[in-house]
Amino acid sequence: MEEVDKILIHALKQVGTEVSEEIDSVRQFSSELIVQAVVRCIQVIDPGLGSSLPTSLPPGMSARFRVGMSLAQACQEIGYKGEIGYQTFLYSNEPEIRSLLMCLVEKLPREGAETSDQPTGKSVVLQRGIAAAIKAQLAVPWLPTHCRLPLNIETQSPEALHSFHAQPLRLSPFTKGPEKKQLKVKKNYQRDILPPVTAQLSFHTSLMASLLEKHTDELSAAQEWDNEWNSQGLLSRLTPKEYRSRKLTRLRKRVKEQLRAAEVPASESAFGGSRSNTDLFELLQTFKGSALSDLILTKGTHFTHTKKFTFEQESASVTNPIPSGHQSESDIQDRQQMELAALQHQFQQLCSDGDQLTADMKHISVTNTQMLNELKQSELGISEKENKMQVKKKTIGLLPDADDNLLKLQVLVEASTKRLVNLASQWEKHRAPHMDEYRTLKEICSNHDLESSRMMSEIRSLHDKIRISTEEARKKEEMYKQLVTELENLPQDVSRSAYTQRILEIVSNIKKQKEEITKILSDTKELQKEINNLTGKLDRTFAVTDELVFKDAKKDESVRKSYKYLAALHESCNQLIQTIEETGTILREIRDLEEQIETENGNKTVSNLERILDDYKCIRHENSALAAKVREG
Amino acid sequence: MELSESVQIGLRSFADPSCLDHTVFPALVDASFRSLLSAHGDPGVLDQPELQHIDRVLLKQSHAAAATFILEATKHNADRSTISSCLEELNFSAERIEIFYNTYQTHKKELARLLASIGKRAPHVNDVSWRLQYHIKNGQVDKVNEPSYLISLNTENEGSSEDVNFTCTMEQLQDLVGKLKDAAKSVEKASQM
Repeated sequence: MEEVDKILIHALKQVGTEVSEEIDSVRQFSSELIVQAVVRCIQVIDPGLGSSLPTSLPPGMSARFRVGMSLAQACQEIGYKGEIGYQTFLYSNEPEIRSLLMCLVEKLPREGAETSDQPTGKSVVLQRGIAAAIKAQLAVPWLPTHCRLPLNIETQSPEALHSFHAQPLRLSPFTKGPEKKQLKVKKNYQRDILPPVTAQLSFHTSLMASLLEKHTDELSAAQEWDNEWNSQGLLSRLTPKEYRSRKLTRLRKRVKEQLRAAEVPASESAFGGSRSNTDLFELLQTFKGSALSDLILTKGTHFTHTKKFTFEQESASVTNPIPSGHQSESDIQDRQQMELAALQHQFQQLCSDGDQLTADMKHISVTNTQMLNELKQSELGISEKENKMQVKKKTIGLLPDADDNLLKLQVLVEASTKRLVNLASQWEKHRAPHMDEYRTLKEICSNHDLESSRMMSEIRSLHDKIRISTEEARKKEEMYKQLVTELENLPQDVSRSAYTQRILEIVSNIKKQKEEITKILSDTKELQKEINNLTGKLDRTFAVTDELVFKDAKKDESVRKSYKYLAALHESCNQLIQTIEETGTILREIRDLEEQIETENGNKTVSNLERILDDYKCIRHENSALAAKVREG
Repeated sequence: MELSESVQIGLRSFADPSCLDHTVFPALVDASFRSLLSAHGDPGVLDQPELQHIDRVLLKQSHAAAATFILEATKHNADRSTISSCLEELNFSAERIEIFYNTYQTHKKELARLLASIGKRAPHVNDVSWRLQYHIKNGQVDKVNEPSYLISLNTENEGSSEDVNFTCTMEQLQDLVGKLKDAAKSVEKASQM
């Protein structure tokens, strides 16, 4: 029982019960301690149920009684099956309390066991970290501005915040494999002029954002490419480079088509004036509507880039002419402004003139091409008519000598048919082997196709497997790491190993005892067998002797006497055995009774009865006091 | 912690003893951290005497990769094991990992502070003063008898303090107080995960 009590006390201490060091068994528990332990356990098991229970016994007797009743009810609600009432807490006896505490301790939620059973995900760890950080920040008291230590500056007086503003960064590209040809100028630029990434931006605050953004961008692009390659690229049976170039040409073709399609209506309106940007936007809109979703991005950005570029150029050309003089005189500035306005006006006029001219030019060129087309057509018609005329001329020349000419013609026709037949047979001769060859080649080709498709499927399955196994490996690694951290975080309970050792010892003890018990059992069995044997032997010998003696007893008087003695002997022996057995049962009963007495002694009946009497007197006293009060009131 | 291909290549050349020998490595690590932490981008950050004889293109690439890696590590609040496993994959020797990790550890707090300065924050309420007004009657109604509260919140944002003034009825004030209590409770709940 000592081991059990130690475990119980350890568990109760963990729950928050103040068990003093001297107490090392349940026997020494006082009523107050029992109540406190039980209430703490209930509070942990079911916070809703335990919140209404006081952790200490009140001084008044009737209040004590009530607390005992509510505690007993709470225990029953939690699922304690044994007998329980207020007396369990107020007039405790050791075994009952022990069984109650054991039940409660078993019902305690095992957080540690649960967390190790279900491996928590990354997000849970992160959330825990966040919770810990919030807790730490909550624990720091707020201080006025002037009293802040460097410790709480971090959380309480943060410096200025910047929004996430990413800007493009330039990086010299990595040359893969053998040195690719690079323009010398470009190389020089990268080597000598391009500043390091951290110095490229004028605002240092957006540097971090830009770097992170760039990295994420690269990562996501790689991921997207990976996905696309795995889903479509592998099926196309091309090398990645070929696949890319093909996609590029496809895209370009599409762009061209769309532009052409959009240009037809646009060119009609182009005669009226210059094409404005809205036209371009409409064009883009038609584009987006019809283009595939993944194509939009590239095209859109391309267009916006070019647009931006032209705009920037314009604005640059506008801003450039501003003289950078340092004079601050207002009239100079005014004059400059005026000049600027005039120049701008002139520029705009020139622009519009240019636009008009280009439109006119286009118009003229269109009419020009139309005219050219018409000319070509008429030329064609003329040549056709000339041909016809020549044929007719020849036939007219042949008409006077018609019969002769007809014969000649027939001869010619026959010769040509013969030649034709000849040629056909020759063709056949040549064709047959080629056809055979073609068929065999085709077959080989189809075989190759089959094989390659099989290989493709194999490769795909391999890819899948690789991905799955890498994922698994990563997951397992993460879990391992997490478990390691959890292990480190776990309280280094030395008693754990001691407990297991003790449990092992106990188990070995039990094993030994079991062996002994089986030995004793087998011994008793053997004894029983021997006894049975002996009684059987006895019975048989008695029967045989009885018979023999009985036979002789009819003849001889002395034999008859001996027969009587025999019978008497047998009977007294039987009696003797019976008495021995009876003493055995009585001894057993005595032992039982002794045990009962011991347990009754353990229940502290006498002292408990005395306490009950005292408490009863107390209650009576309280009641009479209350009655007196009532009467006074 | 995932790294893009360009960063991986840059870090590989960073790790390669034939590209950067052991005198250059700590200098470049230091330069990378310094360039991230200095308030204005210094174009001469790679012009140290130790780094003079290295190919500039390679140096810039390695520097960019290292800067990106440092930022990612800080963003993920990476611990020693994560960083060392990451760098081991990129052929870093144990000695170089040690150098890198020590420098990272010394600058980690400042980097985290810089990263935390990206974002937005509502002003912090430091103090409150209030006044109760009792509205007895007005031109139209003889008996109004309604209390109204003049609240002045003393807030602090980025070191400068500012007062937020408003009036509210009792219900509105109760609503405000309830909301504030809810918020406090939510924070407390979030801390007890």
